[in-house]
Amino acid sequence: MEIILTLKEDITVPVELDALLPEKIDNMDVEEIKNIKIPQGRTTVKVGELFDVEIRESDTPKMTIKNSSIKLKRVGEGMTTGEIVIEGDVGMHVGAEMKGGRIVVNGNADNWAGRGMKGGELVIKGNAGNYVGSAYRGGYWGMSGGTIVIEGNAGHEIGEYMTGGKIHIKGNVGYFAGIHAKGGLIVIDGDVPGRLGAEMIKGAIVVNGKVSEILPSFKYKGIVENPVIKIKKKDEGTKIEGVYHMFAGDYVNNKPKGQLYISVDRNPHLG
Amino acid sequence: MEYIIKNGIVFDPLNRIDGEKMDICIKDGVIVESVSKDAKEIDASGCVVMPGGIDSHTHIAGPKVNTGRLMRPEDSYRDIYYKKGLKPGTGFSIPSTYKTGYQYCEMGYTTVIEAAMPPLKAKHVHDEFVDTPQIDKGALTLFGNNWIVMKYLKEKEYELCAAYVAWVLRNVKGFAIKIVNPAGTEAWGWGKNVHGLDDPAPYFGITGREIVRGLCKVNEMLGLPHSIHVHPNDLGHPGNWRTTIETMGCVKNMEPKPKYGNRETVYYNTHVQFHSYGGTSWKDFVSKGVEIAEYVNKVDHVMIDVGQITLDETTTMTADGPMEYDLHMSTGNKWANCDVELETGSGVVPFYYSPKGPVYSVQWAIGLEIFLNTDPSKVILATDHPNGGPFTRFPRIIAWLMSKKYRDYWLNEKVHKWARTRSSVGDNDKEYTMYEIAQITRANQAKVLGLSPERGHLGVGAIADIAIYEIAPEEKDPKIIERAFRYTKYTFKRGEIVVKDGNIVKEIFGDTIYVDVKIDETLEKEMMKDLEEVFKKNYTVQIENYKVSDHLANSWKVIQIDSSEIT
Repeated sequence: MEIILTLKEDITVPVELDALLPEKIDNMDVEEIKNIKIPQGRTTVKVGELFDVEIRESDTPKMTIKNSSIKLKRVGEGMTTGEIVIEGDVGMHVGAEMKGGRIVVNGNADNWAGRGMKGGELVIKGNAGNYVGSAYRGGYWGMSGGTIVIEGNAGHEIGEYMTGGKIHIKGNVGYFAGIHAKGGLIVIDGDVPGRLGAEMIKGAIVVNGKVSEILPSFKYKGIVENPVIKIKKKDEGTKIEGVYHMFAGDYVNNKPKGQLYISVDRNPHLG
Repeated sequence: MEYIIKNGIVFDPLNRIDGEKMDICIKDGVIVESVSKDAKEIDASGCVVMPGGIDSHTHIAGPKVNTGRLMRPEDSYRDIYYKKGLKPGTGFSIPSTYKTGYQYCEMGYTTVIEAAMPPLKAKHVHDEFVDTPQIDKGALTLFGNNWIVMKYLKEKEYELCAAYVAWVLRNVKGFAIKIVNPAGTEAWGWGKNVHGLDDPAPYFGITGREIVRGLCKVNEMLGLPHSIHVHPNDLGHPGNWRTTIETMGCVKNMEPKPKYGNRETVYYNTHVQFHSYGGTSWKDFVSKGVEIAEYVNKVDHVMIDVGQITLDETTTMTADGPMEYDLHMSTGNKWANCDVELETGSGVVPFYYSPKGPVYSVQWAIGLEIFLNTDPSKVILATDHPNGGPFTRFPRIIAWLMSKKYRDYWLNEKVHKWARTRSSVGDNDKEYTMYEIAQITRANQAKVLGLSPERGHLGVGAIADIAIYEIAPEEKDPKIIERAFRYTKYTFKRGEIVVKDGNIVKEIFGDTIYVDVKIDETLEKEMMKDLEEVFKKNYTVQIENYKVSDHLANSWKVIQIDSSEIT
């Protein structure tokens, strides 16, 4: 079954949509869905008050949000299966703690996209805010599995406390990518201003763009060609094509195993 | 207001009442022989009636608790307390002040002792006490690494040291002497630690043994209601059980001389679970809980509380600065650290005792092993909240102790196999009775704290702090036990119903208890000469600003002691 939600008009007060997972509303009819209560600011409203609801046939549980807005928060939070397609922008915590399924955002996403994600796939066609795949404030449970692809740019502190999974950013990122990482792989095709992998213990970060500087607590290991990146002992390895400067760190920690691969072509000033 | 609690099954160990069906009469906040016809009747048939619970070692107020709250927003989201008519609060392991008061009260606890107050930061502790409703409070005051204490003890000036301790307790409104990692926290100020009772503190050259013995002597000279309250050296290190027994043993020839209360011991070893580790490293780590329990059973001068691990994610906080640094280095978790000028230090680190972790499972088993092997009149139930786990887990600990089946379920299904192979918990068939539960949750505490004249029992004249639990005395179902001890049917505080059917129905504000010891005037003058110089030279505050003023409590309960014979 596919549910199509169309936002009637632009909203100013944010709405939380974690009650509307495709798997939860799979067997409901239109009226039932319209009557689901969702929080808006400090009050509660019914889905039907904000959205036009339509149902179509589909083999898998699916939900489409049309005319979406950055005020729609927590879309797909905790989902385990099915698919969500968002036409337009989406607010904070999209795909947070999701365990399976797929979310596609045909627009931009706000902060904490894929926060604490455990599995599944999150694709954002536009830009994303800060803390992609990170832990929430004060916490230390970052992304542990699944895949996040951002086709535009991302903000600061992506992959904070990440322990597994993969983040692929096709654009540029902000400061502190991979901070406190304990595993997982981050691939950045664009540029990085600095402080890459601060305090990382495990995991790998690959940068194909320009990196203005590497933290002094990383050790230079030499140039590698077409590296196979292994993060765990039993890992088969991820093959990356290209020529990279390799660094190990972050040596502010005891016995760190973090790896940085920085493109040689774009970074002649390193090494 | 008069009440009569009818037909309850009463457990009152201090008056040796073991499951007797009797009526309790309350008038004007105290327990009385009989009441008039106008008394309101409370039907307690089928219920267990006990005195109000007492937690003799918990961390609920002051700078390090507050640091924990600030550095752990993630703990805040985990538990939100929001009930109509009450102040909302948050925090699972480090609840905010109102939530702390409400939740203790829901469990039938009515008196709670904050276990570590740095004298210099006493105002912060009392300021949070003011906002902690439903319970009476007191604060153990840190002296074990205090420069002035160390200097006096080094010079064997016990009278001057006693005068100083009395002055501090009076001025910062403290309740008793607390010693944490004696000489070790001072060593941490130099980036070091001590590794046993006979390692000297840097610069002062005084050892843990001299500090413990010296302060024990001072404590009995002053005749304080509570004994010295000790967290020995080497906390959390494999092989530390020898240091623990040595520390307990180093004061065995001292005599208890309390001038208030009925204490019979001179030494209180807190969170003994953290001090009962055998082996040489975490690889060959084993339980020495039985050895510790046997020692405690054998001697007359020691009382222990357990510091039971509840296998939760929690926040560790202690004045043992070097220990928290070790914990931060081994876990890589966030860490806060503080040095309190001339007095003490502290650290805070969040910690997750995973049931799947081999070491944590053994720690859990050690606590239970101590409970099951120690004489129930010498052991106290505490989690060292929040270090071993939050106080809201007390009901679960009671269920573990009362039901062998429940314990075995955890042992076989939930925790790592090390708990079975490295401790004797699986072989022990003991099940606590309701009477013994009343001993380890209220009677023992009242006696050792010196508060038994008016608290921890249901005799005539006692404060009417009463907990009524909806449970049969021989109940074995862990779910029913846990539920019953988590939410009382009624909690009476000072003769008023404050909890009914698990809900707070009345918000009241308790007393802050402190000790005021009178000292010989010439002795005090001599001590003040030294102290004024120390303040002028070393403290960042003036002596006048150091004192806790009278407005920092809802009401003070002063224990007056006259020790002017010390000259």
